[in-house]
Amino acid sequence: MLSRRRFLASMAAAVPLASLARRAHAAALLHVSSEPATLDALAEAVLPSVLGRSGATRAAAAFRDWGANYHESAELLHGYGTSRLRSTGPTPLTRWTTQLDDLEAQAQTKQHRRFRDLSVADRTALVREALQGQRLDRMPSVADAGHVAVALLAHFYDSSAANDLCYDAQIGRLTCRPLSASSRKPLPLIKLRER
Amino acid sequence: MRRAIESDVCIIGSGITAAMVADRLARTTTAKIVVIEAGDETVPLAQRPAKRERFLRYGENPWGVDHLEGYEVEGPLQSRSMQVGGLAMHWGGVTPRFSPEDFKHRSMFGVGTDWPISYEDLDPFYQEAEELMGVAGEQGPRELDPRGKPFPMPLLPLTYNLELLKQWASSADIAMWSQPSAKNSVAYRGRPQCCRNDTCAPICPIGAKYSPDFTWTPLRRANRIRLVPRTLVRRLMLDASGKRISHAIAVDRDHPAQPVELHAKLFIVAGGYTWSSHLLLLSVQNAAPNGVANSSGLVGKYLAGHRNVQAYVDLPLRLYPGMNGEHSLVTKQFMRPTQGAKFIRHDLRVWESSVGKAPRLADDSGTLMLGDAILDDWRKRAQTGSARVRAYYDVIPDRASELTLDPTRKNQWGDPLPRLAFRDAPESVALRAETEDSIRSLFGKMVAAGNGKLLRTSVDNFQDHPAGGCRMGDDAASSVVDSWGRTHDHENLFVVGAPTSVSGGCANATLTFCALALRSAHEIERGLPRSARG
Repeated sequence: MLSRRRFLASMAAAVPLASLARRAHAAALLHVSSEPATLDALAEAVLPSVLGRSGATRAAAAFRDWGANYHESAELLHGYGTSRLRSTGPTPLTRWTTQLDDLEAQAQTKQHRRFRDLSVADRTALVREALQGQRLDRMPSVADAGHVAVALLAHFYDSSAANDLCYDAQIGRLTCRPLSASSRKPLPLIKLRER
Repeated sequence: MRRAIESDVCIIGSGITAAMVADRLARTTTAKIVVIEAGDETVPLAQRPAKRERFLRYGENPWGVDHLEGYEVEGPLQSRSMQVGGLAMHWGGVTPRFSPEDFKHRSMFGVGTDWPISYEDLDPFYQEAEELMGVAGEQGPRELDPRGKPFPMPLLPLTYNLELLKQWASSADIAMWSQPSAKNSVAYRGRPQCCRNDTCAPICPIGAKYSPDFTWTPLRRANRIRLVPRTLVRRLMLDASGKRISHAIAVDRDHPAQPVELHAKLFIVAGGYTWSSHLLLLSVQNAAPNGVANSSGLVGKYLAGHRNVQAYVDLPLRLYPGMNGEHSLVTKQFMRPTQGAKFIRHDLRVWESSVGKAPRLADDSGTLMLGDAILDDWRKRAQTGSARVRAYYDVIPDRASELTLDPTRKNQWGDPLPRLAFRDAPESVALRAETEDSIRSLFGKMVAAGNGKLLRTSVDNFQDHPAGGCRMGDDAASSVVDSWGRTHDHENLFVVGAPTSVSGGCANATLTFCALALRSAHEIERGLPRSARG
């Protein structure tokens, strides 16, 4: 059976660049959609445990959706004070799938098990190894993240839900909320439960 | 074959000041009004929630095709946007008025140039603009914040965060209040109440923030105006006397081979601080060798704006970032130095912030955090709050603060693009360091009063809220237009809004531009032929 990498390489030799990029995005999307377990297992390892397995799976699904709907070369919001235009870059989905494959390969090589079957501690250790040498301080934007684990973290921590979790309060950042309620201290967050 | 468009009044540009003028003339006259816009139609309201979502997720421009290709301009162009509604499609909706001192720099402080009008002259037009847009505001102390009538809408309520920050400012002897905003604190003229989506800039998904399309759409539906998009005006042409504009020449971007002539009794240039001067300078002809309305040589000169000093402060307050981060506190306490004092004046505003409180990947020692560690670290740092403080300070514009035609860059129709350069007048250069030190000192006082910690301070070199280029005045030798916006050189040519400003003040200036435009509209309606009066 043709591996995903060889499949992408064969496409590169056969089609024009723009078309290739679209197909590579589609292939990567198919890959992460048809094999969600590695990403789900990664989410469970790197996201806060308070989310539980189901919460981590939902976060992973939201992240997949982000990747699936990414548009290359889309015009970004104009800068202020400049006439320069900027656009989104190549899809990050292709490198994320490669990195997920690498995590899977490392799990097989070092533990002789699937990544999803490792303990959270062992999965986290593999992620730490993968991130060695990367410059990591502030949370990057999702698209700029150098590794799928960081992108997943950036996606989750950019959410209104994460903000609420941090403050243990129903702030609802960037959501439509009654104006009249803004003067009140936000209500405490209802404890997360496994669904 | 050329195509002609006939009207009584031809408005060039469809931004916020054009909308003000058109609305006024459409209500009070029966004049045939044509509005010419170089850019495309804007994104309909119904599509804005989805556009906002993509902006939030990917940073994409939510305004579709809102620029002309090839318009890479040298210098600090405020925004590349060009579409129906102009820059005010993505403005923040912040609408403070200037203060009375803004109009009297020379007579009060011995610097700059007095405007030919006073704050009192402009007050009714401020009110008219506020009512047209729908401005929610809180009356500040009357000695600092005079106004003839109440705001049309009650204030945007202060969030829990801003209430705490207001107390903090008060502890530093600073009285602050809710920043006036063109956002609905209650449903207003068919538009809903603000629901704190908090993306006012660049896009309000529900229409609670005023944008010019809310004026254009009903005017177009009622056939009170004809708005022609994708048509770039390239020249204003004089009649044989050289005293009047006979017509304008434009290019229809969809049919560039077919020239468009715009014939009107009256022409109103409403292209903002860049494109207004640019068009006048492009309109070189035998009777106007330096461009139209430019006998003074001052078209494009005295570009005005203001700089800001900004800081982030860590405070021992439990704040909840995200409650309504675009709304702020404001004070005019520092806009009113006593007569004869040094010309150091600025506004001051305070926002909630998450600077220093954002989630991060590595702790203070640089160790990578994963899993619970990131959330734990974030929660620990979020026990205290942070605030953003900013002061816009006055910059007196120099004559050499200018827009010129760039000989090296042309658009696709062969016209030179503008080149922008902002320069301070010598008196502002001399006061810059002292002004910025004074603001930093004020920030320091606030930090101490709140037992806080200064996280960082910065000065923005960009001159914000730009204006000027066709400044108003009573003397035709030292100004381009009179106080009504009528050009000194041509009786049927007006320039309205931002370009007519003498100085940039020290607060967001869009409301002032609108008030100036409405004042022009009142004069224009008096001058329309009787048969066209409403």
